[in-house]
Amino acid sequence: MDGGTLLHGLNIVYELATLALTTLGLAVVFGLLGVMNMAHGEFVMIGAYSVVAAQQWGWPIAAAFPLALAVCGGLGWMVERWLIRPLYARPFDTLLATWALAMLMRKVVEAIWGRGFRNIDSSLTAAVPIGSTAYPAYRLVLMALALLLLVALFFWYRRSSAGLRVRAMTGNPVLAQALGIDTRRLASQAFVIGVMLAGAAGVLLAPLIRIEPGIGIDYLLDAFFVLVVGGLGTFGGFIGGVGVIGGSQAVVSSLAGQTSGYALVLVISILFLWLRPDGLFARR
Amino acid sequence: MVSSPAAEPADTLAAGGIRRLRGRSLLPAAWLAAALVALPLAGDDFLAYQVGLFLVYGIATQGVALCWGRLGFLPLGQALFFGLGAYLGGATLKAASAQPAWWLALPLALLLPAMLAWTVARLVFARSLRSGPYFSLITLAMTMLGFLAAQQWSGLTGGFNGLGGIPEPPGLDRFSTLYGLIAVAAVASTALLGVLFSRPIGTLWSAIAQNEDRMQFLGYATDRMKAAAYALSALLAAGAGALFAAHQGIVTPQAMGFVLSTEFVIWAAVGGKASPLGALLGAVAVGYASAELRDLFAAWEVLVGLLFIAVVRFLPDGLAGLARRGSGRAGTGGLGLPRLASCPAPQTSSSSRATALRFEGVHCTQGGVRILNGLNLEIEGPGIRCLIGPNGAGKTSAFNALTGRLPLAAGRILLDARDVGGRPAWWVAQQGVGRKLQVPAVFPALSVRENLTVALWAGRLRGADPLRDEPHRWSTPLCAEMLEDFPELGEALDRPAGLLPQGHRQALEFALTVLPEPTLLLLDEPCAGLSPAETRRMIEVIQRTVRRLGAGALLIEHDLGAVAALQGEVFVLHQGRLLARGSLQDLQTDLAVREVYAGGRK
Repeated sequence: MDGGTLLHGLNIVYELATLALTTLGLAVVFGLLGVMNMAHGEFVMIGAYSVVAAQQWGWPIAAAFPLALAVCGGLGWMVERWLIRPLYARPFDTLLATWALAMLMRKVVEAIWGRGFRNIDSSLTAAVPIGSTAYPAYRLVLMALALLLLVALFFWYRRSSAGLRVRAMTGNPVLAQALGIDTRRLASQAFVIGVMLAGAAGVLLAPLIRIEPGIGIDYLLDAFFVLVVGGLGTFGGFIGGVGVIGGSQAVVSSLAGQTSGYALVLVISILFLWLRPDGLFARR
Repeated sequence: MVSSPAAEPADTLAAGGIRRLRGRSLLPAAWLAAALVALPLAGDDFLAYQVGLFLVYGIATQGVALCWGRLGFLPLGQALFFGLGAYLGGATLKAASAQPAWWLALPLALLLPAMLAWTVARLVFARSLRSGPYFSLITLAMTMLGFLAAQQWSGLTGGFNGLGGIPEPPGLDRFSTLYGLIAVAAVASTALLGVLFSRPIGTLWSAIAQNEDRMQFLGYATDRMKAAAYALSALLAAGAGALFAAHQGIVTPQAMGFVLSTEFVIWAAVGGKASPLGALLGAVAVGYASAELRDLFAAWEVLVGLLFIAVVRFLPDGLAGLARRGSGRAGTGGLGLPRLASCPAPQTSSSSRATALRFEGVHCTQGGVRILNGLNLEIEGPGIRCLIGPNGAGKTSAFNALTGRLPLAAGRILLDARDVGGRPAWWVAQQGVGRKLQVPAVFPALSVRENLTVALWAGRLRGADPLRDEPHRWSTPLCAEMLEDFPELGEALDRPAGLLPQGHRQALEFALTVLPEPTLLLLDEPCAGLSPAETRRMIEVIQRTVRRLGAGALLIEHDLGAVAALQGEVFVLHQGRLLARGSLQDLQTDLAVREVYAGGRK
């Protein structure tokens, strides 16, 4: 394999890995709880800003990780308790309430750090040689982490008793409750885990992106489109959605420019929403 | 003409009630007109110029509020039509200043976006009843596509820099007199929506938001009605967009963007999604205040965010709802209370009314389970038949398959000679099939009176009838009879149907089913949850009504006592197919039937 092709392939894998990372949290919240969390992207944004904060305060970069988890987890718990829980029966209103929350989070971050772009100074961008080409080490680490997280989540969901309870709750909340599963607590935990995953993705991506308060919306929409294409609550669907959305975007972007890639994603999503709203692997 | 004592007082109220009502539907527009005339007098031209921009946004917000507050689906991408109207309107204004013949193209600037909206909505809504959230996301993705296109096709739109140099309409000045045109447009849209809400179409819209399923079983093509309403909202957005182009003199891709779309929704939510005036004022108040205070006060936008959260969480009808609650008026539907009165309603369209029903080897599966397994069943001509069988025998599923709620895997269902396969529920209802659901499905937030009128109008509204006052006075002998048979409904005419106890709700559901005067009645457990006395009365009413309509009826019932009282032929279903048919006495001695009921056979 020549260096160009390898580089190309690695880039596509990298795109898919970041997409999977930023979608996981929403897959938990939207896929399992049915909550269209419009503030999902803002939790990713908070994760990225916790790296900014850590750097600003002179903390080691790694400290951003627990910081982001704590902030997102705490915020997520409060949001679930006082905003989402009273609205479970009103799907449009959860959508709007989380949208309002997204706005609020954006504005608060804007009030603290301003609207400008920020970059993270890091020594992580060094490249390592692979075959006939060289690739940034941090990106490789990111891909490995994304894979690891996916595998871990898969086993947690399919094999652990907590995963079983979550699946029971998703399948039939009333019956799950009757069987003694505390669905309220479980839903709260799932929401907190979902937004913590989003925050963690933000921390991991921070060194690679330009950070500004408005970045959330792109992550949110891409994640939504992945779930729309893949369908909710299945692992195969998730991987398929990441493949279709990330793959087509990466390929078309490299051939015909970023805008065409994005337009294609929008068109694919519209078609799926219209013709196959239950996703790629829907039974009917 | 039968007139019942219960309908009597309503008759005398009718005329005055409706006249009062028409005045009230224009009241918000009148208040608005007064305020907008006073504004430039109280302030100065610059204030009017600034407020004018948010009045323009307010008109588009009214469209969002129409879809969301009235019909119950949320358009998240309304800026697409606003932007289209702005680009098309702006381009037309530019062209017309050079070549006056272009003025003829101005209506197209409004109609094209509306037609686009109608097409999209038809395509999406026809596919599924439960397309609401998906529809919202589709509109969102569409506005983002529009934004990309506006940026990309710079030859047409001026790209990132925008389409500039748009002149004012002749004789108007951007900074003074254009405000007058905008104010007229805002008053006109407020008045238009106010009048529509007070007409039958307004009640039908609310009914769709309440229970779209029920509307389809009454024969309303709800997907088309929703598409028409969406087109109207797009028309408002496009009109606002054209005004925006004239007001700003430049249109940039932001006019089509995601951010503006979200702002329309926020303004509608804060102002009040159920009230056109509220939505308009929401846009003016929040938008203007934001524009003024954003720079003075850093935390302002945080405050707007908090306000938005508070409104979504605690004030579902926004500040307008709060104001209404404050002044002690009723909530939704409080204004447009139609009166049931005696003015003979036209006949339901009598062509294509089915009298014969035939299931031919119908198979249906759901989630891998065979629920109908070669069902053969046929009935013809008037009279009651009962459908019995153990739970899971496929009784309700047979109704679902007939009314377009369950796709057939094999076989066919014929109404007279017409194949029902693949037809939507409203088409089946228009063939004269009335269906009463197992769990009474009324329109909970509408008054009992409105529930009854919506059913009465089914199949009778033609042409411009939905826009006229007249149908509010319609009545039929059957309607009067229903109020006589179920006096509890006559007593609760002005109470929300959601407050009725179960037994009364069954009565209302039955009345809703028969008011369109179907020729084939599907009654799913009409006596469930009724006391023995109520059951007896219900059976009498069913028998009398079926005879009166000369209809065929298929009735699902578990209570064999009720089946015996109803007389008529009995069909026994078991495991998705017909097990036996005959009189109840014969079946009670039938070995196969006894085994199924006694649990002897699997």
